[in-house]
Amino acid sequence: MSNNTVGTVYEHIINEVINAVRVDFEENGVDDSVLEELKKGWQHKLSQLNVAQFPWDPKPEAPPPAQAQQSTSAAVNAQAAAVAQQQQPTPNYTQSTVSPQTAAQPLSMPGGQPNGNGVAIKNEPGMANESAIKQEPGTMQPMMHPAYPGNNAARGGMAAQRAAQAIASRYGSQAQASINAIHQQTQQPQIPGQAPQQQQQQQLNPQQQYQQNMAAQMQQQRMAQQPGQLGQQQQQQPPNQQNGLGGAQVDGPSDGFDGVLMRRDADGNPVEMGRVEIDNLLHAKLLERAKEREGGGLMLPRAAARGAGANQLDGNDEDDDEFDEDAINSDLDDPEDERDDDDEEDEASGWIMLCLYDKVQRVKNKWKCTLKDGVLTVNGKEYVFHKANGEYEW
Amino acid sequence: MAANGNTNYYDLYRHGSLGSTLTDALDDLIGAERMDPQLAMKVLMQFDRVITEALNEKVKARLTFKGSLDTYRFCDEVWTFLIKNVTFKMDGGQSVVTADKVKIVSCSAKRSDEK
Repeated sequence: MSNNTVGTVYEHIINEVINAVRVDFEENGVDDSVLEELKKGWQHKLSQLNVAQFPWDPKPEAPPPAQAQQSTSAAVNAQAAAVAQQQQPTPNYTQSTVSPQTAAQPLSMPGGQPNGNGVAIKNEPGMANESAIKQEPGTMQPMMHPAYPGNNAARGGMAAQRAAQAIASRYGSQAQASINAIHQQTQQPQIPGQAPQQQQQQQLNPQQQYQQNMAAQMQQQRMAQQPGQLGQQQQQQPPNQQNGLGGAQVDGPSDGFDGVLMRRDADGNPVEMGRVEIDNLLHAKLLERAKEREGGGLMLPRAAARGAGANQLDGNDEDDDEFDEDAINSDLDDPEDERDDDDEEDEASGWIMLCLYDKVQRVKNKWKCTLKDGVLTVNGKEYVFHKANGEYEW
Repeated sequence: MAANGNTNYYDLYRHGSLGSTLTDALDDLIGAERMDPQLAMKVLMQFDRVITEALNEKVKARLTFKGSLDTYRFCDEVWTFLIKNVTFKMDGGQSVVTADKVKIVSCSAKRSDEK
């Protein structure tokens, strides 16, 4: 058994297969060129695997001309040359298909590197600006905006400076997030004529948005608190006005506010809820909605349609696990599943022997097996064997 | 790994390098609509026969190997071994190849002889 015989055996197999299916190709009306193409493609793919040296590869073809040159017969030389010429198309075929890829990469790399460097250099100032503006939205902009009033104070020949400012601000706006960019663009026309107060207000906007992003729920709470406060005020008014009518009587508008501010105690009497209680209620509701959005929007469209919640994902998984466990019916199967994964990796990486077995014997933990007609792929090389004896311990 | 219904040859070897490259080449031609899948199946069945016969008749090499058996499985007349720290000796012990692990997939030789 050696790696050298693989090439000839494989060539024999390829030729046999091609000849065997030639009739089938003719019966199906498929052109003979397709069959030749199949053979070429098969050999080419096999050569790319580089599991052995094949007769159709360029490497093993080099020795035969050398041997032919050693022989003094001119006829042999001519034959060898003819053979070489005949064989050249196949190496050219493989080289032309392989080498352009390898050659194109070095060619593209030198061309691509300067471009890449240029882009990288161009990006670097942009990145620096981005980082400077992004990192210091609160500090840089106050630094920059005071400059505008200063420029406004000295208005003589401001066009160039304004253009520079516009470029600078646009550059900054490109670098900044889209939200901030919008605000900056709105700032540009306002800055020359308007007071720094608006600038300060607008400077607050990113902070507010930051707060909105960071604590949207908090702000929603604030929004909710405002009607709540209004409701309290309004609701405090009716009792003052309606004290004589009794607390049990509630008119229409008050009913609407009752839903927000009043709850029934155990006796069924309406009890006014404090701000903290209302806040807690709203907070809980908002958290629920946020969870629904997380589950429905990102993780589980179907589960969200069914009722939402990240818990359903867990539930499904558990169901699947339980189903699998029931199907396999043994906890011992789990580690074997992992080994199956290993096996698949082995198969993918090519550490595999495909063969037939004559005998497989086991005495305690010692195994002996007699294998035959096998193909072994190991360490990137392929071997064929007629018979193999294996001994191993478990 | 089961024997082919029509020919009684295993399609085991299609998983090797020779079979997988043939399958790829056939896929390319099918993708280019140069041939239809039924014809490709006939090619693969011929391949099953040819490689089984060739390994039986053309190859005389012998091989011994030792190692530690990690996993064994016998299912549907197919032995699957995962052997670690394997040492292959071939050419009468002249050349030795070692590997961390190797997977052996082996079908029954008797069934293929029945034909």
